[in-house]
Amino acid sequence: MREFNIVGKHVPRNDARAKATGTAIYTDDIKLPGMLHGRILRSPLPHARILRIDTSKAAALPGVRCVITGEDTPKIKYGNWRLFPDTQDEYPLAIDKVRFIGDEVAAVAAVDLDTAEEALSLIEVEYEELPAVFDVESAIAQGAPVLHDYCPSNISVNRKIQYGDLEKAFAEADYVREDTFTVHAVSHAYLEPCSSVAQADLDGRITLWTSTQTPYITQCLLASTMNMRENDIRVIKPFVGGGFGGKMELRTWEFCAAFMAKKTGRPVKFTLSREEEFLAGRRRHPMKLTSKVGFKKDGTLTGKDLRIHLDGGAYNAMGPTATFLCGNFGAMLYRYPSYRFFGEHVYTNKPPASAMRGFGAPQSIFATETQMNIAAEELGIDPIELRLKNAQVSGDKIPDVATISTCGFKESLEKVAEMCNWKEKRAQYKTGGGKGIGIGCYSFISGGVFNWFNTQYPFSAAEVRAFDDGTVHLLTMAADIGQGCDTVVKQILAEELGLKMEDIRITSADTSMTPQADLGAWGSRLTLMNGNAVIDAARKIKEQIFGMVSVRFNLNVIHEMECKDGKVFPKGRPQRSMTFGEAVAMAQKANRGEPLVARGYYTPRDKGMVTPAFSFGAQVAEVEVDKETGIVQVKKFWTAHDCGTVINPKAVEGQLEGAIQMGLGYTLSEQFIMDGGKTLNTTFLDYKMPNAMDMPPSETAHIDTYEPEGPMGAKEAGEGLAIPTAPAIAAAVHHATGYRCKDLPITPEKILNATKSL
Amino acid sequence: MRLSKFDFHAPKTISEAIELLQSKGPDARLMAGGTDLLMKMKHGAVKPPCLISLKSVPGLNAIRFDESAGLTIGATALLSEVAEHPDILRHYPTVAQAARATANVQVRNMGTVVGNLCNASPAADNPPIHMAMRAVVLIEGPGGKRELPLDEFFRGPGVTALLPAEIVTGLRVPRMPVNAGTAYHSLSARGKLDCNAVGAAVMLTLKGKICEDVRLFISACGPTPLRGRKAEEMVRGKELTEEIAAKAGAEAAEESLPITDLRASADYRTEMVAVLTRRVLKEACQMALTSQPA
Amino acid sequence: MKHVITLNVNGDPYTVSVDPSQTLNEVLREELNLTGVKLGCGSGDCGACTVLMDGRAVSSCLTLAVEAEGKDILTVEGLAPSGEKLHVIQEEFIDKGAIQCGFCTAGMEMSALHLLNKNPSPTETEIREALSGNLCRCTGYAKIVEAISSAAQRMNDASERNQ
Ligand SMILES: Cc1cc2nc3c(=O)[nH]c(=O)nc-3n(C[C@H](O)[C@H](O)[C@H](O)COP(=O)(O)OP(=O)(O)OC[C@H]3O[C@@H](n4cnc5c(N)ncnc54)[C@H](O)[C@@H]3O)c2cc1C
Ligand code: FES
Ligand code: FES
Repeated sequence: MREFNIVGKHVPRNDARAKATGTAIYTDDIKLPGMLHGRILRSPLPHARILRIDTSKAAALPGVRCVITGEDTPKIKYGNWRLFPDTQDEYPLAIDKVRFIGDEVAAVAAVDLDTAEEALSLIEVEYEELPAVFDVESAIAQGAPVLHDYCPSNISVNRKIQYGDLEKAFAEADYVREDTFTVHAVSHAYLEPCSSVAQADLDGRITLWTSTQTPYITQCLLASTMNMRENDIRVIKPFVGGGFGGKMELRTWEFCAAFMAKKTGRPVKFTLSREEEFLAGRRRHPMKLTSKVGFKKDGTLTGKDLRIHLDGGAYNAMGPTATFLCGNFGAMLYRYPSYRFFGEHVYTNKPPASAMRGFGAPQSIFATETQMNIAAEELGIDPIELRLKNAQVSGDKIPDVATISTCGFKESLEKVAEMCNWKEKRAQYKTGGGKGIGIGCYSFISGGVFNWFNTQYPFSAAEVRAFDDGTVHLLTMAADIGQGCDTVVKQILAEELGLKMEDIRITSADTSMTPQADLGAWGSRLTLMNGNAVIDAARKIKEQIFGMVSVRFNLNVIHEMECKDGKVFPKGRPQRSMTFGEAVAMAQKANRGEPLVARGYYTPRDKGMVTPAFSFGAQVAEVEVDKETGIVQVKKFWTAHDCGTVINPKAVEGQLEGAIQMGLGYTLSEQFIMDGGKTLNTTFLDYKMPNAMDMPPSETAHIDTYEPEGPMGAKEAGEGLAIPTAPAIAAAVHHATGYRCKDLPITPEKILNATKSL
Repeated sequence: MRLSKFDFHAPKTISEAIELLQSKGPDARLMAGGTDLLMKMKHGAVKPPCLISLKSVPGLNAIRFDESAGLTIGATALLSEVAEHPDILRHYPTVAQAARATANVQVRNMGTVVGNLCNASPAADNPPIHMAMRAVVLIEGPGGKRELPLDEFFRGPGVTALLPAEIVTGLRVPRMPVNAGTAYHSLSARGKLDCNAVGAAVMLTLKGKICEDVRLFISACGPTPLRGRKAEEMVRGKELTEEIAAKAGAEAAEESLPITDLRASADYRTEMVAVLTRRVLKEACQMALTSQPA
Repeated sequence: MKHVITLNVNGDPYTVSVDPSQTLNEVLREELNLTGVKLGCGSGDCGACTVLMDGRAVSSCLTLAVEAEGKDILTVEGLAPSGEKLHVIQEEFIDKGAIQCGFCTAGMEMSALHLLNKNPSPTETEIREALSGNLCRCTGYAKIVEAISSAAQRMNDASERNQ
């Protein structure tokens, strides 16, 4: 354990004051002179050929400045998996065909929103309706309607993993069981609806302010779909009101704002309504998972065979990554001597599913953990004992997948058991007695090592400019979307340079100002990857100013130097110190006025197939179930987790508390109610996300580990925490009622039906 | 999600409002808090060309309590005012509770109890308890004033017994009889504040331990809040034992006509009618018992 | 037909001409440039647009601007006593880590103010009830509840000192 001055301390967020006073500018708050307002026309049909679009009446409406359909665009497909161009299956506006209710068909820009909306109603579209498929079984059946011509099977991506001898594993097992789980779609439900404003400069460059998690990806894909060069596009991320994976691709309104700004010469803004967000927005993948596991009598795992189908909706979006990660996460948490995974991503005529906090892991691990709980019961072993017996530990290798560097999983299990009085409560509450506790665990990545985006730049970059007044300016493309990475990287930089938080200014997520590049805020990558890039830049600054101190005090070359409390000095000889500003001034002088600037980079290399570092944790839920109404009340959560060094304790707690809200909703109340391809619940009134009265108290413990690959020992603490809640609640509900949930969500009705037949 | 265009009027008297309703045609709509109406307009469900707000009519928001006449709730009295009014909390605790169970803080600060009734949603929170307590709707229209028992007011989802250009000016709730108890329970999937999947309200009067009179209403299980007549029969003239309460629940479930929608399935609703009926009966009985002089 | 209305926002008088179909939210954000007032749903469900109207917390997205005629409106922009000195509620939101993406924050703070004006010493349950119309997707509400509770304490301490 290292001692830190700023890392690990309570530091208020960089942007908290602006947000508390309402002065923080989000995209929809931007108003530019002459700005037009855009609206999108969406398909009312789940699957249809577009025979004719007539926009003439709309275009003739006074106040309408621009109407476009797919035919007016360069017709270039895009998708985040640039490395595999086949998977890029989406046009900014539909060409020839629509594939889900809400698919984008045309766009209007007008002097005000009312006019734009009226214009939408004047666009005539003639469709030829095609047969549609709404679930995986129908989509992969013989003769099923085909969504994309390039993909006659409707299976767009598959992934296999295999190691060890599975036949032998099951033959040698004393206990083998196979279960099928289904999990449903839920919404990111970020509070800020997507919004974009674009402006074309006189020299042809386009500036796009947009509510995004991935400025660089948006820049690249916008350039390619507009048939422009990357550097002709400037993407700026204003404050973003949450993303959770739902704002990490190029989206139609970003394209339309830019395209129409170019066409009209006027700024154009698009902001989605909440109804559009629910009707057509991205969502978590529904999946069907069939998992077969073998155990020895004593509880030792022998192997696992996992087969999944992802219901991807109409386009790939981030589905390929979810498929990939599902397979990796199927092999996590426990030591499987042999493992086989086969996952297929299937097109259906529904709104596309995509990345969402946890990215394949919540689904995969719901199956793992629920099956673990079932096995524990049937083998007569305590669920935590069974886990401890099989838990992965530091140094474990998963063939072809990963090497686990640090792992506080066993410690998490032991700690959480102690926090919640596991043994006593398991014994005290009788199965079916209305009260219960249950456990769920997780592991997650600290950023991915895969480069499906095919970036030609480092995965993360930072620039540090040092000034002779003792301040520094940090520039990074990393996107703070509310998770607080601006604050966290400032803390890391302040720690590394021995400065105070107020000595550091930050400019982030403006592709024309901040160094190339950063893949964005997803996969819980920023603390580790951007943190490392920042440290790299800071060390380069330090090298230069250390030289100045050396010269100034005529130091022996063997001296180690340090930056602390705003000063630079040889270790152990603080009397020979200069202030940071003086040292910078000298360096600048020595370089004949050249400012002191350094750039740092991070790209994970030789880190297996998945991530440089895994987080781990365990969570226990205690519930009370009203046996007459089936209503579940979660009384409390206990969580013990290993995220390496905690850089900002309140930020980590906040991630956990928010993750529990999302996990609770996922398990008990949130779902899309669909009629065929139509989303019926398009308001927060009917999309039931937990409010303040639904949230139970929660207690947390951090397990101390120091991740050598992480900045100052840190790993991820963002997405992983959204994983354990569903299996933990499901297990507690089983304890309380005898009902074993294998298909989320857990509704009062399912509980009543199941307990009636018990 | 944007409001369509309309003319807006804020009359200062009821008669002015009635005249406007007459002159602006059948599509003109009255508005109290607007929390139902504007939401429907935003979702494109209705497009009235003209809105007539009642909020500028002085005194229409009054809440009055009189020992003999009972409680009068004016048409523009807010849900939050009803939920917090000291006389209502004291003499009509379940009326306050139902108002408090409606929506959330902000909506209660805008919306009204009378609007909640006039909206005639079968799932609304306030009608069942007012019906159980024999509330009377005060109506004014081109033909003068009239009164209608609330349990004759609802005609179907969104449909009331109001004649063209009639306005509800208020609601009168008689005093609770001595030895009476009331209760309201509702169920929903998110927290305690939400649109209901099912609700039940009751008022019952005891004589000793015997249930002399009972009025039970079920919401969200039919086109209007339904009266549980057979369930009432089961209870009337008897002591409310566990067994009787359970039987009454079963009767109420039998009488209800739920549908499956976004918020719950018909089967679940039917089952919950039984559970809630049993619970409200027992709770009201308890209240009546404790209110009896020893 | 447009209506000319006068209203008082954060202590300043404004006269604006509005179409009846304009919500208070649109007028505050678009005409008066008070963009601290957010729009998260437009249908009264999320609370991001909460402002105080004559002291009551209301959803500005479900309030017609014409109905704000003659009213006192307080938005998040009017919460702090000065540009430098923040309101206790704001300070506590910052200090307790109650702000993540910040999109719900203004609405949460206004609901908190409405609560504390009516009930200076709320219990945790009362705070949670007061927030039932304000959704947050980031924080799980825990730190928001904590911030309001400690703001209440500080406001009470201050008023005791003033007495
Ligand atoms: C977020 C949200 C949550 C909600 N949750 C709930 C809930 O949990 N439970 C619940 O019951 N409701 C709920 N509602 C619905 C609504 O808020 C209530 O029904 C409210 O009480 C309506 O009152 P209002 O004054 O706003 O009615 P308005 O919208 O003004 O009027 C409703 C209808 O009644 C008519 N009307 C109004 N006043 C009169 C009158 N005096 N005479 C004749 N006709 C009249 C109007 O023309 C309109 O058709 C919710 C609404 C929202 C936005
Ligand atoms: S924006 Fe008004 S309540 Fe959501
Ligand atoms: S902080 Fe993001 S919604 Fe509350």
